[in-house]
Amino acid sequence: MTFPVLATPLPDAIAETVGLGPDTVAGSLTGGLVAAVIIASALLANAAVAGPWAKRRVYSSFIDKVGPSRHGPAGLLIIVADAVRMLSKELVIPEGVDRPAFDLAPVVMAASALLGFAVIPFGTIAGIDIQLADPETGLVFVFAVASMASLGLVMAGYASNNKFSLLGGLRAAAQNIAYEIPLVLVGASVALFFGTLQLGDIVASQRDTLVTLGPLVVPAWYALINPFAFVLFMAANLAEVGRNPFDTPEAPQEIVAGHMTEYSSVYFVLLYLSEFIHIFLGGALVAVLFLGGPAGPVLPGPVWLLVKMWAVFLFTQWARATLPRVRIDQLIEIGWKGMLVLSLVNFLLTAVLVPFV
Amino acid sequence: MVNPWIAIGALAVVAVVIPVSMMVVSSLLRPSVPETSKRATYESGEVPTGSSRAIRFNIQYYMVALLFVVFDIETVLIFPWTVVYDDAIDKVGLFRALGPMVLFIGILVVGLAWAWRNGAVEWVRSPRADRQRTEQQT
Repeated sequence: MTFPVLATPLPDAIAETVGLGPDTVAGSLTGGLVAAVIIASALLANAAVAGPWAKRRVYSSFIDKVGPSRHGPAGLLIIVADAVRMLSKELVIPEGVDRPAFDLAPVVMAASALLGFAVIPFGTIAGIDIQLADPETGLVFVFAVASMASLGLVMAGYASNNKFSLLGGLRAAAQNIAYEIPLVLVGASVALFFGTLQLGDIVASQRDTLVTLGPLVVPAWYALINPFAFVLFMAANLAEVGRNPFDTPEAPQEIVAGHMTEYSSVYFVLLYLSEFIHIFLGGALVAVLFLGGPAGPVLPGPVWLLVKMWAVFLFTQWARATLPRVRIDQLIEIGWKGMLVLSLVNFLLTAVLVPFV
Repeated sequence: MVNPWIAIGALAVVAVVIPVSMMVVSSLLRPSVPETSKRATYESGEVPTGSSRAIRFNIQYYMVALLFVVFDIETVLIFPWTVVYDDAIDKVGLFRALGPMVLFIGILVVGLAWAWRNGAVEWVRSPRADRQRTEQQT
């Protein structure tokens, strides 16, 4: 286990580098903007690797086909090819769309996915703490911002003037709200256990030692303390990002990709990218709340957090390749009768356990 | 750092600027060839009939949304309690710290049980869909 020395937050480090003090408003603003650009670009790069390339390669391996392999080494250049292709395609705007909502939906979805990362602690590298901000209400902020995606889904579904899209948008709303409550309740149980909503503190609390097995020191990761909560959170997270077995809102075989049916060109790119950034946001939350955040041996913190985010991404792809889709009625019943009750039980159990640890 | 929300606001600006700039770049690159039939909405290759905003959909979507409002406000009220809970045990004891929350969640569970019994979380099928189903089976 590594115990980091007092590290400078990334915006402050940038403010000092450009010569503005970190304690002035101008310094905070400049540092914040530059740091925001760095973090957002890193995430877009991740999503760009995941969307056109990693997803296809992983899925191909599952169903025993080759996947993209012709463009450059291991088919990696398909990312460039796809980006240029999608950006230069004609934007077909169907008749009778609700124009402001149709244009705004991709922006809302992409922005909500990116904004969630403002409070995620990426760990320390070279004495700099890669975290944009660590407000006291970090956990609530992530949940609040991430759930704005439902708004984008409904906007896209309603504005498209397509019956499949409308159904997809409604299904997405029903699913997101049904699984939001278990997700938030399980997140609240983590906050209850550690007594704080600040993500930096939650990560710091998980550095303690849980048990020592000979030379192996097991850290107090919440997934090891309460595996039940971890399983619940993973399941609710799958539903929240709309991946199998909970991909009913898109269901290409039933309602032809739901809210995305009428979107083309750059609008489609934004919807597609924001889905992947949402998966990574879910993965980052899983890592921070349950897997010790950026903690890990040898490698620096940000690398470990990325490894954990990609592990959750690969888990969603595994689920996508192997699990059948649930029907909409089953989806509602699992959410309201199963997950909600289990998460309330988990919450009360945690509350009873807190005084004894 | 003066205030952490300055940096968060900066990311909010960046998160909106990136998609918008992608849209601008694309609008400079892409062709525009408007044709009448190209702009028809997709309806499995058929000529689309009627507006999508005039269709009827299942009432269940409204029921679960109504239920969601109740439970979402519940989670909002739970969050402050999670932060003070540990200190509250030390000050007033386990019973007085936990009791009110158990009562609060208990009232909600009674509400959920009521909604459950009345079929609010059960998928309703329209009588017409049920009739069609029995016709297909016979």
